[in-house]
Amino acid sequence: MTIASLAQDTIAAGMPLAELYHYLFVAGVLFGLGVIGFLARRNLIIMFLCTEMMFQAAGITLIAFSKYHFNPDGEVFVIFVLTIAAAEAALALALVVLLFRRKETLDASAWAMLKG
Amino acid sequence: MDLLINPVILYVGLAIGALGVLLALPRERVNPQLIGLILAAGGFGAVIIALALRGLDAAGLPNPHYYIFAPIAILSAIRVVTHQQPVYSALYFILTILASSALYLLMGAEFMAFALIIIYAGAILITYLFVIMLATQAPSETEVGALSPYDALAREPLWATIMGFAIVAVLTGMIAQGLPEIRPAGNETDQQMLLAELPGKVLDDLDAKRVFREMERPETEAIGDLYTIDAASRTMTLAVTPEAAGDLLERAEAEDRQVAKLLIGDGTTLADLRAASGAGGSVRLAVAPEVRVTNLDTVGWSLIAGHPLALEIAGVILLMAMLGAVVLARKQIEIGEDEKLARAAELGIHTGPTDQMDSVSGGGASS
Repeated sequence: MTIASLAQDTIAAGMPLAELYHYLFVAGVLFGLGVIGFLARRNLIIMFLCTEMMFQAAGITLIAFSKYHFNPDGEVFVIFVLTIAAAEAALALALVVLLFRRKETLDASAWAMLKG
Repeated sequence: MDLLINPVILYVGLAIGALGVLLALPRERVNPQLIGLILAAGGFGAVIIALALRGLDAAGLPNPHYYIFAPIAILSAIRVVTHQQPVYSALYFILTILASSALYLLMGAEFMAFALIIIYAGAILITYLFVIMLATQAPSETEVGALSPYDALAREPLWATIMGFAIVAVLTGMIAQGLPEIRPAGNETDQQMLLAELPGKVLDDLDAKRVFREMERPETEAIGDLYTIDAASRTMTLAVTPEAAGDLLERAEAEDRQVAKLLIGDGTTLADLRAASGAGGSVRLAVAPEVRVTNLDTVGWSLIAGHPLALEIAGVILLMAMLGAVVLARKQIEIGEDEKLARAAELGIHTGPTDQMDSVSGGGASS
């Protein structure tokens, strides 16, 4: 089965409800794991990586619903999600580098007392 | 309608998965990562199998490849969260990205699938890897391979796991209850309709199949003004100018009626076309089944025609993020007033308010 026929079959047939739920479940679990990682890890970089994972879950949800409703707007929105993710990664990593220069550590709890 | 999944299986599976993630999170001394991973895999696997069995009843199974890529996505996501070394976390995140782009493909979103690989795995994650390598202390010589304490220990793993999986349980449980009430919102933008919306799509496709010769393109522009497409019945009404129809006929006969097969539907014969061209009338042509709207057409049309302002704003956001990153990451060097003067003198620049007039005239004279 080639990629093209895979995709076109899916478009032509539409997406049944049970199939939609399959994808939503994966997205939900990815989102939850992102939340856990953000709360439980102490490394600043890993915390930001986990926010990217939550973005990813949102993307899967958007595409699944877009296919379910035959509405390409959902897919287009994923492009904007990617844009925001890229902007966020650039700024967040610049901040991390800045913070690392100040205290020579990536531990988030090193910044528990914000005194400038 | 039945629930999409038995809630007991869903919640028990998620609880087992939560326990597995909790065990796999980094902790002191005893580190039952493997047991945790197996537990988590078992929990999520049970839910996915239950979903598959229910989908089998409702004839709503996804493409079989889903059962390969969804577990890969979930397991590598668990490794992202639980791995003690940041570099490996980032690499496992790339695996998550690849698996979820495979899920995009299975859903029929080819463009976003490949854009995801290029942008995420290719650009964003590489930036992360750079920063991980840039911002990690060099290991001391006595303990090679030792982990930083903040990587080796999780912060409040129990509460974090409970929080995270409470969110997942509420999300998936509520969606399972509420989803059957959401109906697909009509087929307004499905590909049949879109075919009529996309300007010149049919003509371009016919062109790509070399129905029209390249030299004839100006003439097909003339045809383009005169055609209409009825998307529902996939027919194209062509107001045939005698010259254009003559070209089509010539070509159809020269190429052993390949064009006729491609262009002319049940109701139209070559004779009709010939008659219509003689009278300068119009011909109804069936759009060939090969001419269809691809995912790329859909996304491109929706992006440019539907959201032009958002696209512009996205560009501005990216520009500002770039500026912000440059400003933030710039290294500020503290230089005293004397050093500045010395450095300026070294470079041959005259500074300071006292000799400003002097430097202007002097600079002019020396150059």
